[in-house]
Amino acid sequence: MEQEEFLKISNVHKAYGSGESRQEVLRGMDFTVKKGEFCVLLGPSGSGKSTLLNIIGGIDNADEGYISINGDKLEDMNERALTMYRRKHLGYVFQLYNLIPNLTVKENIEVGAYLSDKALDIDELLHTLGLYEHRHKLPNQLSGGQQQRTSIGRAIIKNPDILLCDEPTGALDYNTSKEILKLIEDVNQKYGNTIIMVTHNEEIQHMADHTIKLRDGQVRKNIINENKVSAVDLDW
Amino acid sequence: MRNPLRKRQLRMLGRDWKKYAVLFFLLVITIGFVAGMFVANDSMEYAADEAFEKYNIEHGHFELKKKATEELREDYEDLGITIYEQFYKDFDEDVDGDGEKDAKIRVFKVREEVNKACLMEGEFPQAEGEIAIDRMHADNQGIAVGDTILLNKKEMKVTGLVASSDYSTLFENATDIMFDALTFDIGFVTGETYDKLYHKQNYQYAFMYNDPPVTDDEKSDAAEELAEDLAVLAATGGYTSDKDEAEELKDNVEEWTDYLEEIEDKADHAKELKEELEEEQAALEKKASDPQVVMNILMKAGYDQMAMLTMSQSQIAGIVKKALITDEMQAKIDELKELGDYLEGEEDQIDETIDRLEELEEYEDHTNELTDFVPEYANSAIHFAPDDFGRDKTMVEILLIILVALLAFIFGVTVNNIIVNDAAVIGTLRASGYTKGELVRHYTFLPIFISLLAALIGNVMGYTYFKYTVADMYYNSYSLPKYETIWNADAFVKTTVIPVILLVVIIVLIVSSKLQIEPLKFLRRDLSKSKRKRAVRLPNFRFLTRFRLRVFLHSFWDYLVLFLGIFFVAFLLTFSVGMPATLNNYQGRFVSLIMADYQYILRDWQDEDDKPIRTKNEDAEQFCMDSLKTIDGVHVDEPITVYGYGEDSKYFDVSDELAEANDDLPSDTEAAVCISKAYADKFELEVGDIVTLKESYTSDTHTFFVQEVNDYEAELAIMMPIERFRKVFELERGEFDGFISSSEITDLDDDNVLTVITLDDYTKIVNQLNHSMGSMMAYFSYALVVMAALLIYLLTKLIIEKNQTSISMVKVLGYTNGEINRIYVYLTTLVVVICTLLGAVISVFALDGIWNLYMYAMNGWFGMYFGKPEFIRVLLSILIAYLIISVIDMARIKRIPLTEALKNVE
Repeated sequence: MEQEEFLKISNVHKAYGSGESRQEVLRGMDFTVKKGEFCVLLGPSGSGKSTLLNIIGGIDNADEGYISINGDKLEDMNERALTMYRRKHLGYVFQLYNLIPNLTVKENIEVGAYLSDKALDIDELLHTLGLYEHRHKLPNQLSGGQQQRTSIGRAIIKNPDILLCDEPTGALDYNTSKEILKLIEDVNQKYGNTIIMVTHNEEIQHMADHTIKLRDGQVRKNIINENKVSAVDLDW
Repeated sequence: MRNPLRKRQLRMLGRDWKKYAVLFFLLVITIGFVAGMFVANDSMEYAADEAFEKYNIEHGHFELKKKATEELREDYEDLGITIYEQFYKDFDEDVDGDGEKDAKIRVFKVREEVNKACLMEGEFPQAEGEIAIDRMHADNQGIAVGDTILLNKKEMKVTGLVASSDYSTLFENATDIMFDALTFDIGFVTGETYDKLYHKQNYQYAFMYNDPPVTDDEKSDAAEELAEDLAVLAATGGYTSDKDEAEELKDNVEEWTDYLEEIEDKADHAKELKEELEEEQAALEKKASDPQVVMNILMKAGYDQMAMLTMSQSQIAGIVKKALITDEMQAKIDELKELGDYLEGEEDQIDETIDRLEELEEYEDHTNELTDFVPEYANSAIHFAPDDFGRDKTMVEILLIILVALLAFIFGVTVNNIIVNDAAVIGTLRASGYTKGELVRHYTFLPIFISLLAALIGNVMGYTYFKYTVADMYYNSYSLPKYETIWNADAFVKTTVIPVILLVVIIVLIVSSKLQIEPLKFLRRDLSKSKRKRAVRLPNFRFLTRFRLRVFLHSFWDYLVLFLGIFFVAFLLTFSVGMPATLNNYQGRFVSLIMADYQYILRDWQDEDDKPIRTKNEDAEQFCMDSLKTIDGVHVDEPITVYGYGEDSKYFDVSDELAEANDDLPSDTEAAVCISKAYADKFELEVGDIVTLKESYTSDTHTFFVQEVNDYEAELAIMMPIERFRKVFELERGEFDGFISSSEITDLDDDNVLTVITLDDYTKIVNQLNHSMGSMMAYFSYALVVMAALLIYLLTKLIIEKNQTSISMVKVLGYTNGEINRIYVYLTTLVVVICTLLGAVISVFALDGIWNLYMYAMNGWFGMYFGKPEFIRVLLSILIAYLIISVIDMARIKRIPLTEALKNVE
């Protein structure tokens, strides 16, 4: 089951507002993700992909249905358990990096390391990320790509089971985007983390094991990619 | 079209209403209280100024040892002043009729000419047995119109409560450190009642200059000159007001008296010689009448009988006389003759001398002694209250400016945070064509509007509620006449216009400075002004420690404002805790500080029979006392008590060496002395220094060599052996001023005692200050804890808001609330603790300095006391306030949504 249903999204509904202004963002979403899989959630704006990612991340909660990881349902978890869930299982990468502005590169990554008993070696990771020379810099001294790499470093330093990436290349140029995608791919291969990536860049689906196409809060297509390509071969 | 952004104002207010409410509340209270204080102070100051004319306040007063004769009065008035009798009698006041003295009351006749009293309640006495007393004292003792009080066991009915214009502050003596509205009272009775109240009378005269001096220098010069003239005229019975002439006269009288005594001695001697010679002559004549003796003398002289028969009687007598007169007799005869010749020659001189002395005799009846002189400007009883208004106003004005600046910064930081949150919005608006000015107006509108509204409401409250609060505060300490509220533009400017301008300027400057950033940076949410801010390298501390340090550095300016806020509160708390502590400490130590429980100052050291006054009390010691004044140092004109103590005194803590230390004095010094610790501390004197002091009513000075400093803290004093004292102050042999004793002396005649100084006289300062400020300080402390809580609430809220996204982010990453608290709340706690500690320490030092400055301007000295318990109390007050706020902060952190971190992403 672990291999088959590491992450299960079952009939998840989510709406915001009430009365006439009520807007249903997720309308009964169902799919599963295997452990170590690179899964892309693809869809246009308003399709509900970020909302879904937030619910998977335990930041938001579903109105109906459930999400389970390794069989543990998030809806059964209280606030502390959810915190522990995020702490133990999740790593987050955001579009605008969300680094802590007053911490250096190394310290931002240490923010993640602090949460784990099995954290990776930080200097080795800095070398892997190509940030070792920049480790004493503040985020505002870095380029967008360097910031995103720092963000990825912060997410993977604790070697999480699931890496949630919300439009990680959304704010980056073409070349940098490809570098970041390659990095995520390497991480996936090296550490075997399950990766859920939200994007509206259709090209990225080609490097994923699994693509979920969303529209209007529903899964429109659930594609298993048998012939995935490397990030370096992507072009858009 | 009106700016559509204005619709946001109400929403911004709604979003941060708690913060704005706290700021509004603090501003209203601050401006309200200060406006109230200014209005009340200015109105009362105006009333105090007006009182000089309305109640004809004296230009000064003096006291004589006995009633001035009509001639002396005329001589005094020839000095260019008009004098008014203001005699008084001091009685024991028994309020509750239990036979115990509750206070001392100074009773005057109802005044018609100078220093008139303002009737606050009831009416002035009309009949015998009626009295009007001080309103302040009556309030303190719970005496109401219609009550009966006992004056030395005589019943008096209180018909009215008054505020006397020359006793707006109840100072018993002008040189007292502090007034005493608890155990000192003044009363007014009719002339008939006054005359029938049998008690020792004090001869005080108020005076008014015929041509009053105007400037401070003129007043000072005039008073100095007048005091000397009055003293000299009193001492010479009106002979002269010229000090040199008086000195010359004194020397002449001594010379003439010596001359006449010498003449008298010589005359007496001549008389004695004459009597002796007369006796010897009688004996000689008796002998010469014996024929046998005559025969023997003649035969011895070589005459035979025949020759004898031919000799005449006179020849025989001459021979016999010559034979019988001894050399000794002859010497006496010669001396007598010489004296006779001398006295005969001095006759004219003697007559002239006697005439001169007889001429002076007419002044003898008018001689007197000036025992006190207080010009109006130096009279604490008149000036302490108005001066206090001024001091309080200045202090409160400074506090207002500091607090307003602090609140302005908090406003500024609040708006700054809003701008950070609105960065993208601002970037968009700027990109759309909104000017910087429009946005400055948009973001400053709310704080400025709140400030103006708070100023308006504060002023209304100042003129209504707070005015009475402040007035009550002063009426609780001072005996002030009635006043009318006066609209004062100066008060409005200082309490409203300047603070509001300060607020607006600080807020506009902060907001304008922030909005200088170009639109693109706003759009990118990059609001750092420096292009690439480098990270400070931190030592390899534990991660959380470094995290905290980063947060601290990131929010450094917010923490600095937090420090200023805490320091501000700590300073005021230190004051409110330190003042009563200092007083209580002083009071607590006083029993051990004073030399003895009783000091009896005598009117004269001899009784009517010119015999020294004695007591059988074995504890009593004779001592001499005088008062000199400082001429330099931290406080000019400060009275220094000079003591002369008896041999082996048990009351004066001086070494035996001082008695022998007068032999090798530095030139120009008169005596080696011991000075009290209080004197040494206040004037920063030490062993080996030389001090010069002047006499109270003349410009004569005395210079002393500080041989030692003892631990006496009760007063500023100089001590020396009594013989040395007599020599310095030219006293007669055996002369002294009174007795010092550890027990009450009961065998002294009341008429001989000028005054008795007891422990109560020393501790009344503490009692009065405790009464005036004790309860106020307690309320003030509680108010400050609330203020500390509000300020910390605002400032920590700002810090948390500034770090809100980061907090949300670490939550998303999986940090528990406990861990986040360990970063943010722990850091703030650490900062608050350090700020409080630092603030309290700096405050204690600052207050010590301010206290010293305050005491420099006063008579007397005691140092600020701030012990460990007080220090801990200040710390705990702020920390308890913080503890409450930290709980709110933790809840606040807990409430920060996880989605906060994702806002940028959406």
